[in-house]
Formats: sequence, structure tokens, C-alpha cells
Amino acid sequence: MGSKVISDMELVARVTGSDDQAAFRLIVERHQAAIRGFLARLSGDHGTADDLAQDTFLLAYRKLHTLQSGGSLRSWLHSIAYRQFLQHGRRHARQQVMAEPPDSGSDPRQAMDAEILAPHLLAQVNESERACLTLAYAAGMSHPEIVEVTGLALGTVKSHITRGKRKLQDWLQEHDHSVSELAGAGRPPSEANHA
Amino acid sequence: MPDPIDQALEKLLAYPETGSGGDLFVVDVMKKVQAERRRRRLILALFGGIGALFGLAGAVMLSGSISHVFTELLPNRLLFQLPLFAAGAVAFYVWAMNDDLPLGT
Repeated sequence: MGSKVISDMELVARVTGSDDQAAFRLIVERHQAAIRGFLARLSGDHGTADDLAQDTFLLAYRKLHTLQSGGSLRSWLHSIAYRQFLQHGRRHARQQVMAEPPDSGSDPRQAMDAEILAPHLLAQVNESERACLTLAYAAGMSHPEIVEVTGLALGTVKSHITRGKRKLQDWLQEHDHSVSELAGAGRPPSEANHA
Repeated sequence: MPDPIDQALEKLLAYPETGSGGDLFVVDVMKKVQAERRRRRLILALFGGIGALFGLAGAVMLSGSISHVFTELLPNRLLFQLPLFAAGAVAFYVWAMNDDLPLGT
């Protein structure tokens, strides 16, 4: 028996139409890695990210009927996650929202592992730049999609990405990392996204 | 030719693998969703019940004395059967509204 891939919008229709729990479960299964990853990159802490991701999906369940038929579920979920992160930041305004990069015991100069370098890198940029860079490079979103998620103007998104990229490049050079070496085994770039 | 910094950032900022943690996460979310559904139904039942009580009280006030309702409209035989009907209604509600999904994959 062949398995048919059900589109996101079909799943949404099932949830909003007949409160189909199996359909909502599929939505969560499909998008949890991206939402948790996005929030982990934003907050720098996996525990906080998972809590916010759970709140994101619960809110999505409540508000799913407001998703317009032509909209993208992926962008919509990311925009809820981003707002959850911003609210969390406001609630904990006195604390530092971006956790300190974990002390892995290794010098970031020698580290080549993305999981060690990424928190150090993202600590160099501000909240909005971090969101734009993560959406562009980790989620592979186009600039208009990032606008949809963050609610920022297109020009602002572009300048955040350019400025953030420059900061990260400078940090890598200061810490003796060869960009071309790091790029070596990377995934094929989605050129349209970063043009 | 793609910019090396773009390639490097794609590699460095890529999301970590969630592995089996993803399954646990999904189970946790679905538990919260089910709790949310139960809460929603409880609120509906509560406010529906309050509305029904007001309706009953209004009907009683319009139709005469309370004793009349319990002596003539609801004879003793029916009053004794009421708990049975109530239990049946609760059983039907639990059966019809049951939303416990098997959480295993």
C-alpha cells in the first residue's frame, strides 16, 4: 500500500474542520525540529527552547483557524515561535535572554564543531539579527518569508543579515577560523536566499 | 559562485539533530493539547449547565409552585429513575466525548 504525503494545508483543514488529533500530531511531528532548533538558536538554551516550542504548538492549536488558506504553515509557526521568544524576553527582562555560550572546556579558537561555535557566534549579534540570520541560514528562508515571520520591513531584514554576517565573519577571523575551511563540508547554499 | 561565508554559516547555524527527543516532545505537546480540549469541554459543560439551571428556574417560576413540578410533572416513580438516567447520560457523554488518543507511534 503506497503512502500518500498529506500537505500541511490539508492537515490544517482536518484539524480546523473536525478537530482531527492525528492530523495535529502530524503537524507537530513535521515541524518540531525546525521550531525547537530556531528557538534554541535564539535563546541559546535547549530547555527554554523546548518550553517555548511547546507553548508555540499549543497556541497554534488554539489559533489554527486563523491561518489563511494561502498562508504557509511553516512561516506561521515560526512567527508564533518568534513572538513567544520575544514575550519570554520581556517577561525576563532583567535576566539575560541569550544564555551565555556554554563552557565546553575547549577554546573556541580550536573548536570546529558547530554546536560549540554556534552559541559563541550568535552571542555576537543582537536579537533581531540573530533571528534573521537563523531563519536565513538554518531554516533556509527567503527574505520575504523572514519578513512574514519577524514582521520587520524587507530593507531591515536585508540590513540585519548583511550586518550580522559581517559581525560573524569578523569574529571568526579574530578567532583564527578559516571561513573556507568551515565552509568545506557545508550543505549546498541556497543562493537565492542570501543574494 | 557561492560566497564561502554563506556556506560556512549554513553549516555552523544548522539546527542540531533532535533524535529520540523529538518523539518525547511530540507526546508532551499532544498531552497538553488533550488537556486543553478537556478544559474547553469542561468550561462549555459548566456554562451550559449554569444556563440550563437558569432556564429550569425560569420555567418553574413561570409555571407555578416548585411542589407542583415535583408532585405532578415528575411523579415519584420518575424521580427514582432519575439517577439511572443521569448515570446513562454521563456514560454516553464519556463515550461520545472520549478524546484519549493512543500516544504510541
